[in-house]
Amino acid sequence: MTGMDTALSIKGLTKRFGGLTAVDNIDIQFPKGILNAVIGPNGAGKTTLFNLVTGMVPATSGRVMFEGNDLIGRAPHEIVSRGLSRTLQIKSVFGGMSVMDNIRIAVFAHEGISSPFRPARGYRAANDRVEHILEDTGLDRLASSSAGALSYGDVALLEIALALANKPRLLLLDEPICGMSPSETERTVERIVRLAETTDIILIEHDMEVVFAIADLITVMAQGQLLMQGTPNEVAGDSGVQEVYLGTPEDME
Amino acid sequence: MTAQRLKWLGVAAVAAGLGLAPVLLKFFGGLFWINVIAEILIWSLLAASVNLLLGYVGLLSFGQALYFGFGMYGVAIGISQFGLGLWPAFFLGIAAATAMAAVAGAIAVRLTWHYFAIITVVFSLIFYFVAMSAKSITGGDDGLSFSAPPLWKAAGWLLTDRTVQYYFIYLVCAACFTGMAFLIASPLGMRFNAVRDNEQRASLIGINVYYTRWIAFVISGLLAGVGGALFALFGRYASASYMFYHVSGEAVVWAIVGGIGSLLGPLVGTALLILFRELVSGLWENYLIAVGAFVILVVMFAPRGIVGIFSDLVEGRDRRKADARAALRNLAEAE
Amino acid sequence: MDLVIALTINGLVWGLIVALIALGLSIIFGLLDIINVAHGDFFMVGTVLALVIAGTTGFWIALVLVPLLGLAMGLVVERLIIRPTISAASLTIVTTFGLSMILQETVRATFGAQPRRMAAPIQGTIPLFGLEYDVYRLFAAAFAALCIVAFFLFLSRTTLGTWIRAVRQDRETATALGIPVVRVCAFTFGLGTAMALLGGAIAAPITTVEFRTGVDILPVSFMAVVIGGLGNLKGTVAAAVLLAVLEGLISSFADPTLARITSLAVMCMVLLVKPRGLFAGATR
Repeated sequence: MTGMDTALSIKGLTKRFGGLTAVDNIDIQFPKGILNAVIGPNGAGKTTLFNLVTGMVPATSGRVMFEGNDLIGRAPHEIVSRGLSRTLQIKSVFGGMSVMDNIRIAVFAHEGISSPFRPARGYRAANDRVEHILEDTGLDRLASSSAGALSYGDVALLEIALALANKPRLLLLDEPICGMSPSETERTVERIVRLAETTDIILIEHDMEVVFAIADLITVMAQGQLLMQGTPNEVAGDSGVQEVYLGTPEDME
Repeated sequence: MTAQRLKWLGVAAVAAGLGLAPVLLKFFGGLFWINVIAEILIWSLLAASVNLLLGYVGLLSFGQALYFGFGMYGVAIGISQFGLGLWPAFFLGIAAATAMAAVAGAIAVRLTWHYFAIITVVFSLIFYFVAMSAKSITGGDDGLSFSAPPLWKAAGWLLTDRTVQYYFIYLVCAACFTGMAFLIASPLGMRFNAVRDNEQRASLIGINVYYTRWIAFVISGLLAGVGGALFALFGRYASASYMFYHVSGEAVVWAIVGGIGSLLGPLVGTALLILFRELVSGLWENYLIAVGAFVILVVMFAPRGIVGIFSDLVEGRDRRKADARAALRNLAEAE
Repeated sequence: MDLVIALTINGLVWGLIVALIALGLSIIFGLLDIINVAHGDFFMVGTVLALVIAGTTGFWIALVLVPLLGLAMGLVVERLIIRPTISAASLTIVTTFGLSMILQETVRATFGAQPRRMAAPIQGTIPLFGLEYDVYRLFAAAFAALCIVAFFLFLSRTTLGTWIRAVRQDRETATALGIPVVRVCAFTFGLGTAMALLGGAIAAPITTVEFRTGVDILPVSFMAVVIGGLGNLKGTVAAAVLLAVLEGLISSFADPTLARITSLAVMCMVLLVKPRGLFAGATR
């Protein structure tokens, strides 16, 4: 695979927390134009991988190449402004603001708007984008509600909306449907699939049914290492993967 | 929307009332109070600087007296040592305070929470002791007296005219609060709130949290500096004792009693406590006991301050309606 | 040279007393997560009570009575004003600031504004490193050290002490284990207050007694807590002694204010470079 076709290319990435090696010298290529999923039992290092990629945790060693640049050593906000957004496993938004203002501030951050004088509500182009994102994610029904009073599923949805405000070219979703009701799950999964048509997505998800239904390529991690990468069929038929899942499960997280 | 409009009506009423104060007081023959109000306005800037950091960015500074002190000494030294006119000295004071805040802030905002509160006190204590020992420059505890140059020579405006002095202070403070109102409603103000609400999420939408905090710190230092510069001109005096941490602490108290995270909260808190002092100190020597008790009671029973009580009253109805609507919607969603 | 030795020993004596006060501040901070701005004033109340009680019944009774009064005072304060505002740390700074005002003004109203001095309960001097040193100062250092040791023994050997450590470590687990967390916190506040008053009682004969002394002792105690590492109790003791000796040494050849500025600068560096304290890692 050449640099042209990869959305994200990880080389020799390692993270040690004291004596524990959470991510162990990993090499992964995530191809462009498809929906990638990362699976693995608890403690496999999936979230740590995302944290390393997005600069939230400093790497011990290794490189993370995104559009020809190494992301390692950069601050989270720099990485985000390069077009790589993520959602968090534990959902959280700006609880003291309305849903609309949550999205507005994300749009401002993306556009680099930080005037100390002009009224925030007076930016027409930004307002249009906010409206658009609200409609797009189905949050328009809650636009003026306080984000602190949302249901968990709506918070998860708002997180995705915040990530989208950044117009990301690569989107990392960490358990996006965790805590959602069945109907919310269905709608969110639909949205993710639709989103994947225009944006590269890497998804961490525990719901295997969802992963195998929508992912084009599945990356399996176990104990901080890359176990295998393949299509859903290949992964389903792999004995190593079955062993990891059905063998002695290790709950390290 | 009605709540919003009511709030701005309140702000306008306060501004108009303060603007008319000299006329009214002159009419009722109580021009003594004009200096009390002037003092309230000056100190409210210090409280506002606390509010900007705590209420909008979520950082509790216990060292704002430092920037107040730099503003104060900038003016005093500018006039008494360099022989500057009033306006150059005024801007020298503000520049000194802002520059100090820029330097101290670059270090302080690397820390958060308790650590931030502590390092801000430490900075202010260091310069307090420096100012106390550098008696030849600062006058130490005794302070530095000077006579104020004219505000506008041609027009014959002098600060010794209490009405002129009041309007000078009033207009400067009005400008500061107007600036803050714009700031709060601006995209930068939203950034502040985002950093306060959820630092991690803020960085994940591309906000440089450190830089945002630093900007807030510098603006807050500027506000405190304007307060200090005004205070020096008002008293024709500067003293190291105003840089002690107790002064910073009082500003925190004023801001919280008035209401954190609201534009006029600091002004209301400052006014309340200074008026309380003026009224009770004549009657009871140990009135500070009452002040302490009052402060504790406000924090216990109105944690969002005096202004918080009012906005709860005003917003209460609107919010209850909105909440009911949201609940209904959620119910409909679930079915 | 004599001056250097005298000031160094003075620093050591004062450092041990400050250590006792700072330990009180530190356990309150560690357990209740509040910055108690009135802690210095508790010390001040200790000096005043010691002077008053010593004047009527003698100093030794005061030394026993003052910390007990401190415990009672701490329990009352905790129940009345700390517990209702504990949910927001910025609020507790304000409540304790209000408390500080009340304490200072109450003392000024009853005891008077004039600084007073108190006669040392043990008179005389003994030779020490070639100079004649006050016996009481040495007693004060030894007694403060004894109290510090007793405090650490209390934490490690008694059930209540174990509970305090458990709540410090992990509040939720402590609750789950059935430890009465709220009451442990209340007692801790009382204990911390008692330590500040006890420090005041010990220091009363070697310092001026007036309503303002708390304002000076508070920053010093805070420095010890921060430089020692927030929550690191042994570090607090080490830092308190180190700072006081350092300040003593510097004041022997320079302005005492310079000594104070130096220790503040040290505190800055520690906060920035090793926010967990100078001794982080050493005691873990």
